[in-house]
Amino acid sequence: MSSTTKVGIISCSGEELPEGTISRLATRRVLELMRPGNTVTICLPLFLAGNEAEREFARKHPTITVDGCNKLCAKKGTEKYSGPVSAALVVSEILNGKCSCCAVSAKDRSEDDKEAVWLVSEQIAKAVDEIVAGEGETCCSDEEADTVACGCSTPVPGMQIQVAGKSVTIPGLGLIFDHLAETGLAADDSSGEKLLETVRIYHPIEPEQEDDYRTALTSAYKAYRRQT
Amino acid sequence: MIPNGNGKKTIVIPCSGIGKVQGLIAREAAYAAAAAGGGELLCLALLVSGDEEAVSRIRDAECITIDGCPKLCAVKNVEATGGTVAKSIQVIDVLKNHRGAELGTATKLADAGWAVAHEIAQDINHCESEVK
Repeated sequence: MSSTTKVGIISCSGEELPEGTISRLATRRVLELMRPGNTVTICLPLFLAGNEAEREFARKHPTITVDGCNKLCAKKGTEKYSGPVSAALVVSEILNGKCSCCAVSAKDRSEDDKEAVWLVSEQIAKAVDEIVAGEGETCCSDEEADTVACGCSTPVPGMQIQVAGKSVTIPGLGLIFDHLAETGLAADDSSGEKLLETVRIYHPIEPEQEDDYRTALTSAYKAYRRQT
Repeated sequence: MIPNGNGKKTIVIPCSGIGKVQGLIAREAAYAAAAAGGGELLCLALLVSGDEEAVSRIRDAECITIDGCPKLCAVKNVEATGGTVAKSIQVIDVLKNHRGAELGTATKLADAGWAVAHEIAQDINHCESEVK
């Protein structure tokens, strides 16, 4: 994946339906954890009602829209003001009825909601990868992206760990630890494999590095859990 | 949903800004207010995209908008589509009473973020009960 490619993700975030909440959370997950170096976003209402500067966003970035329902507010709005989108995802179609137990508010979130968010975010990340692979170096650069990107799309800070004596920064590692803690992962030596399996979704780990990463992640997770 | 003192329904419209914690606070405040009988919800993106049914709904109602940032997407878009804004809440203003609080992120609210959301929801429901 080109490190300079920036794909814009515009989520509908519809307030009336659980699918709107899922579109928002899945988009955030891709921005923060899954493809932080290759994605930016902008608030849909700001984009739709904004001025030319805001609408430049989708003209300069290959854009993925994530709509909660078949009203397709994000897709239609983006295409109206900025031209065709590179990919248009619809949460209700991705989940295909598996969203009936999902909630609109975070306070009511269950395992069903989390799984739905994971499923949709995987699809968004896949679409990002396809666009990046297709666009390569012809995409806008980081410098260009900064001129139009919403400042709020800055990825979450990474956490540094020591792997075989070297300092390595892993984007969103704190959030990964939080998520695994919520799922009940014990802060002991038995957690190594699960930590490795989860972190490598977001951070490249070569096969020959696995043992070092397993040790480093286990140690970091234990320390993190002691502090939180 | 209960009509307000003017016989009109109340619709609560948060900005739901995706990039900042204030957007999530606005969104959760709207859910909390609606759950306590403070009004109906309406997707802001649907309204901004010009959906006829959404536009018709806000023209027959009084709207309470909750904006996370000074761009004021919610209040501006309700007014631009012919709606009446009975009350405009800006999260930034509410936060003046919570300086230094750890609110959470645009993805997940911390305890202080939830407290601010509930404070806004109570304000909305208090306002509602006064006009009934």
